[in-house]
Amino acid sequence: MALSPAAHAAGVQSGMRRGGVLMLMPEARILERSHAREAEALQAVALAMLQYTPQVALAEEATLLLDIGASLRLFGGIRRLCALVRANLQALGFTACIACAPTARGAWLLARRNAGRAVRMASLVRRLDRLPVSLLPPARPFAAWFDGIGCRRFDELQRLPRPGLQRRCGRALLDMLDAAYGIESEMFRWVQAPEHFRARLELFDRIEQADLLLAGAHHLVLQMTGWLCARQLAVERIELLLEHERGRVARPPTPIEVALAEPTWRDEHLMRLLRERLGKLVLEAPVIGIRLEARKLQAMAPPTDSLFPDPGGSEEDRVRMIELLVARLGADNVLQFLPYADYRPEVANAWVPVQHAITPSARAAQMPPDVGSLPRPSWLLAKPIALLMRDHRPFYGSPLRVASNPERIEAGWWSQTQTRDYFIAEGRDHALYWIYRERINGSGEDATPRWFLHGLFG
Amino acid sequence: MTRSDFTSAAPESLHPSLWRASQLAHANTRCVDTGHATLSSQLPGGGWPSGTLIDLLVQQPGIGEMRLLRPALSACAARRIVLLQPPHPPQALAMAALGLDPAQLLWLRSTRSADALWAAEQVLRSGSCGALLFWANHVRSDSLRRLHLAAQGGETLFFMLRPLAAAQDASPAPLRLALRPAAGGLHVDFVKRRGPLREAPLFLPLGSSLLQRHAPLDRPVPAPVTARGLQPSLAH
Repeated sequence: MALSPAAHAAGVQSGMRRGGVLMLMPEARILERSHAREAEALQAVALAMLQYTPQVALAEEATLLLDIGASLRLFGGIRRLCALVRANLQALGFTACIACAPTARGAWLLARRNAGRAVRMASLVRRLDRLPVSLLPPARPFAAWFDGIGCRRFDELQRLPRPGLQRRCGRALLDMLDAAYGIESEMFRWVQAPEHFRARLELFDRIEQADLLLAGAHHLVLQMTGWLCARQLAVERIELLLEHERGRVARPPTPIEVALAEPTWRDEHLMRLLRERLGKLVLEAPVIGIRLEARKLQAMAPPTDSLFPDPGGSEEDRVRMIELLVARLGADNVLQFLPYADYRPEVANAWVPVQHAITPSARAAQMPPDVGSLPRPSWLLAKPIALLMRDHRPFYGSPLRVASNPERIEAGWWSQTQTRDYFIAEGRDHALYWIYRERINGSGEDATPRWFLHGLFG
Repeated sequence: MTRSDFTSAAPESLHPSLWRASQLAHANTRCVDTGHATLSSQLPGGGWPSGTLIDLLVQQPGIGEMRLLRPALSACAARRIVLLQPPHPPQALAMAALGLDPAQLLWLRSTRSADALWAAEQVLRSGSCGALLFWANHVRSDSLRRLHLAAQGGETLFFMLRPLAAAQDASPAPLRLALRPAAGGLHVDFVKRRGPLREAPLFLPLGSSLLQRHAPLDRPVPAPVTARGLQPSLAH
């Protein structure tokens, strides 16, 4: 029986009956223990832990054993590794007692007692000697007998004659004791990462705001990280499926697809992208479950072998920044220039989403040959502004004075004909404007020249 | 050490971040040459400081601000140049004529100002871009401070282009210039710099090549409509 701190404060204690609990705390929610879900949770944690070591074993009484002997250098020492594991567990939504010891059974015993880390064998023996005998599962049926002969701690147990102890309590107790003290070795069945990754999380409540799903998504992404590390893969495309409540009509799950230009196996970048995507999403119906699938996988790329980092970050950093910008602003708002060989300025100035791959040769082929000789304004108005006429001069804030020779642009007879004479004009405040005059006016009577402002010289 | 030794010692010999009110400060970051010798000599460090917020207060968009920044931008054009929320669609051919590689330009649009601030911060934090030009009208001073802090983490040239009215508001930027158009160039007012106060605006010649580009062409005299507004000095 487990209880929350709030229940503990209300006076509920373990071992109470249901009626007693409800009398003390009428609003208490009493849940049945579900062994299947416990096993599922342990499996999820084991999968996430595979990112720290490939040797993860499930042990009895809801514990996991990790062989971290080979991982200490990589993750920067035992304290840092413990902190990482603890942070991951917290992100997964679990609390855990973490212990380290030179022997697996010793670590198991320390964790069951929440007795901390013992890095050397001598300190492990010191700590083990103080543990109560009832911590060993094979000793529990004989608890009364041990109590009767005054044998309460491990050191007292060690002092008993071994043949007699084996006859009374069986072989298992001695084996476990020897394994804890490192006298005998132990065999484990390591957790195998499954062939395909697919994880699902049932939410505790109906969720109506998309950004609240982030914690759940993190839970799944952490599992995927462990799986990717164990199988030496990197992910290129993931899909997060939001399962909706089955209302009057069955609703298909909402997919959120995240595609990466650079395959990754770390969770930080994926979480940042998912955060932006979820932040923008408007849910049509409450969500009751989420599912994560890895759609496209690649072998993990080895780290770069250059000695010095590039100034201004690597190409990977650049790609990541752009992906992050696209995730929040939308693909239509992160634009690059696509040159197009056309005389009409609006058509030549085409901007396309940055994901379009444009080869430098294709770009160069569409650029005008002598770009420096073209008088083009830095800012091209999205729509030309018709200018007022005052004293037969175009007027924009102040009368404009034409300051250059005309540039005649006449093109587009196949779609939108443009017959324009472009001038650089100067206002009274000496700002430069790019203005044009329509050469073909309507009919004869309104043949006054029509002037438009089309650009600003930045 | 006697009291006279204290007063005679130059402040910069005591600590590099000290300077007299009558002299320009030393830059403690890398500076990019502005390309205009008269302007560079008026700036602490002799150029645009990288990794700091530089406030450019422009009277209106399109008065020559890009021509002013051209030498500095082409110096860092090997990396991307991000145009965040420009007032009008940028014309890449003009940027190419200014000497910037159009393939390195990135145009970011945003509908909400919170998104624009977020994007600016991401670009600065990533540090993989050469320059960031951010047009904004109303920015609160805490957002400015945040952006300034983000800029200090990297080497990105960071310009904020804001309207002239923003000169009244406080800003954490160590360098603030106000730009006004002038005949054939720009008037630069030093609103704030680490150095002596300068009242008179600095005139920078900019646009002469733009207007006389077509002058030597062998063409018939333009149509009478165009000739009307032409200055005799410019019509060769």
